[in-house]
Amino acid sequence: MSLLEVKNIRVSYKKRLGIDNASLEANSGEIIGFIGADGAGKSSLMHSIAGVIRFEGEVVYDGIAYHSPKEAEQVKPFIGLMPQGIGLVLYNTLSVGEHLEFFADIRNVKKDEKFQAYKEKLLHMAGLSAFIDREAGKLSGGMMQKLSLICTLLHRPKLLILDEPTTGVDPLSRLELWEILDSIRKEEGTVILVSTAYMQEASKMDKIFLFDEGEIIAQGTNKELIDSIRPYVYEEVTCKEECLSFNKRTYSLKPLHVNRAEPTLEGLFFVNALKKKKLLPQVVIAKRDKEIAIPPVVMQAYGITKRFGSFTANDHVDIELKRGEILGLLGANGAGKTTFIKMLLGLYPIDEGELTLLEKVIKSGDDRQTLKSKIGYVSQHFALYNDMTVRENLIYFANMHQIPLKTALNRIEQYANELGFKEYMDELPTALPLGVNQRFSIAAALLHEPLVLFLDEPTSGVDTIARAQFWEILKKLKEQWNISILITTHYMSEAEYCDRVLLLKQGKKIADDTIENFYKTHPDAKSFEDIFLTYYKDVE
Amino acid sequence: MKLTTIKAYILKEFMELYRTRLIIMVYLMPSMIVLLFGYGIRMDVTHARILIIDNDQSKFSQMLTSKFEHTKYFNAKVLHVSEKEALRSIKQAKTDAVLIIPSSFEKRLLHGQKSEIGIFVDASFPTRATTIEGYIKGTVLDTASEVAQRGGLSAKGLITLNQRTLFNQAMRDEDAIVPGLIGLVLLVAPAILAALLIVKEKEEGTIFNFYASPLSKGEFLLAKLFPAFLLHSINIFILFLIAVYIFNVPFRGSFMLYWLSSELYILISLSIGMLISVITSRQIVAVVLTVIITIIPGFLYSGMLMPISSMVGESYIEAHLFPVMYYNHILYDTFLIGQGLGSKKIIMYLLILVGFAVVLFSAGTLLLKKEMK
Repeated sequence: MSLLEVKNIRVSYKKRLGIDNASLEANSGEIIGFIGADGAGKSSLMHSIAGVIRFEGEVVYDGIAYHSPKEAEQVKPFIGLMPQGIGLVLYNTLSVGEHLEFFADIRNVKKDEKFQAYKEKLLHMAGLSAFIDREAGKLSGGMMQKLSLICTLLHRPKLLILDEPTTGVDPLSRLELWEILDSIRKEEGTVILVSTAYMQEASKMDKIFLFDEGEIIAQGTNKELIDSIRPYVYEEVTCKEECLSFNKRTYSLKPLHVNRAEPTLEGLFFVNALKKKKLLPQVVIAKRDKEIAIPPVVMQAYGITKRFGSFTANDHVDIELKRGEILGLLGANGAGKTTFIKMLLGLYPIDEGELTLLEKVIKSGDDRQTLKSKIGYVSQHFALYNDMTVRENLIYFANMHQIPLKTALNRIEQYANELGFKEYMDELPTALPLGVNQRFSIAAALLHEPLVLFLDEPTSGVDTIARAQFWEILKKLKEQWNISILITTHYMSEAEYCDRVLLLKQGKKIADDTIENFYKTHPDAKSFEDIFLTYYKDVE
Repeated sequence: MKLTTIKAYILKEFMELYRTRLIIMVYLMPSMIVLLFGYGIRMDVTHARILIIDNDQSKFSQMLTSKFEHTKYFNAKVLHVSEKEALRSIKQAKTDAVLIIPSSFEKRLLHGQKSEIGIFVDASFPTRATTIEGYIKGTVLDTASEVAQRGGLSAKGLITLNQRTLFNQAMRDEDAIVPGLIGLVLLVAPAILAALLIVKEKEEGTIFNFYASPLSKGEFLLAKLFPAFLLHSINIFILFLIAVYIFNVPFRGSFMLYWLSSELYILISLSIGMLISVITSRQIVAVVLTVIITIIPGFLYSGMLMPISSMVGESYIEAHLFPVMYYNHILYDTFLIGQGLGSKKIIMYLLILVGFAVVLFSAGTLLLKKEMK
């Protein structure tokens, strides 16, 4: 018998279904991975097992069966739950040391020598030994997550439930988090349930469950899952119907006459979409209404510096963006990506350095005024008005750019068709999936046909397929419009779609090269994540 | 009961209260309210500006005028102006009242005939006007009786005033208002603090620590409310000192009764806040709701502005639905009267307060769910 048995769990919220008919088994020492888009039901299942939400069905842990949060009380001493959200369970004003004391006490852990040794070990593993006295509110995102994790581990839970512990955490901290988990499960025999948005992490787990629309649609080991989609994965090829292409691979249920390619876990999502006939509309981008002459270098930043008090967010950063180029700005949380984009847009004053936009040296706000019509911007949280429909939002943005109404309406219609959100035109943004919002945010930024596009983390939280389509849009925009794009992202895999990548660390530029060159200088690297890590470690 | 666990939570609450500077609010707000309102609210009227038109210029009329001139309640001015002009000065807010003495005032009085004095009062503030009117009537009657005695007339048929105020002989505003203010702040301040305590954890997500731990609901609430209870208990003493030493309010009752009923009352207030904290999910909503639920009844039904006994209909019923009325009765008794437990009403009110505490606390405990919504 397995240590943990979950039978037919169902969670429903007021308006929607959380998860239905979910079952799984796990043995001591196993790491079980949950993957799937936002709202697919991963958290609902985790909360059910942790006994913090009402559910139907049965969970049996070590022979103790429970059907409600009340019955789950008896297993809570053995469970550790780390909910989704960076530093969610931490108290901003309490220090690292005080957190450990507090979490040990609320779990009634006896503070003997053994505990002290264990605590020291955890602190050391998390690299927090030097920060005992630092308040949690002043830690970086990665440190917060590591602290949350060791706080959850203090009472040596036998069942550890971690909801996206690594999302938004920089790759180095992510690696360290996994090292902690791996040693814990080996030493303590803990069952670990983890959800993640990173497929590379998922591939290392013992068993993987794939969630989609409130159901578990596939399960197995990494190898089993990859083998299950092997027949549908081909080398990238242009195809017309019932197929999807992404990341050098084409997925099709019908046989294609090209070589098969090695599948990845990401492929599961594409094959699932194909099976469910959830095909995304083909993206078409028409040429610009009028051809515009674009200078060869669109943006040139030299020695850009931004300080917030004693903290330097950007330290003498040099960046050049060429015509028709997709430049990826990569870095951990707090590396200064967003600050840089905000300075480009004039949302923050530049403390030091020189900025040239479209061959114009920017010295004052007036210099920017004339350029506003040439720049498009999509912010991290899509600055949409939630009480206006998609159509009204777009008309509003068109008005802001003083586009004649007739032209504006034509363009809105055209983009709605091209980017595939036509059927959502009269809905409110809040009622739409993140992926659709993202597409129409792009449309809003394109209404005035800019020469350059600044995108700040446009893909975070968006599911794999929507992300694939988003990059398709960017690629076509570049081809058809010759537009330059500066994009920030924390998905390392997305670096592959950029022409050039720039790495930021603690406000400093640590690398800047084309993707090909990066791979040439790092012949051992399997993915861009490996390259990223070498840079981050080197500079340490 | 897991004592270490509760202790850990309590310690954490204290540290958070201290480091988020919320503790300043705990002590500043009640004292501020009592000081500001205590000095600010003035119900009795002194130095009302009265304009006297003496058309008689006789001994009697001068006697009357001098009565007005020699009292702290009036700033009298005798002018020879027309009635119309006098009324205009009321309109211009230069005077609060006008008194017109008719021309044959003394003569008519000596002949035992009825005489009419004209009084005009600015009633833009009705309570103030009533008070001024009462003062004027009293002064006139006082003079009249004196005149009657002097004139050798029998006092028969003339009204003699025999007024005596009880419990607040000096008719001091402070005595009437400050105890009521204590009832108000001890309802509002602990409730706001308690309202923040749970909803804050919900908003920030730290409530998961409670959801996922073996801690029981009762232990959680105990841990949450104990620090707030302890901190506000100190306010009971601070407010007492402010009332007695800054506002010189007499204290005639038992301090024990004041203290214990106040602790009970804080418990009720905390339970109200906790109940709100349990049902809301945003800090701002919790605070606004608490303020509305506590300040308005705390003010209206405190007995400061209007005695509950003179309320009728809905307001009488509403007053009995809020705890402030019962507590304030005990408060006013301990400060001004001193009957204490000798009064059956006070014992009953104490029991009603216990009932409030039990019902509100149980409601909060029942509604608090150790699970997500």
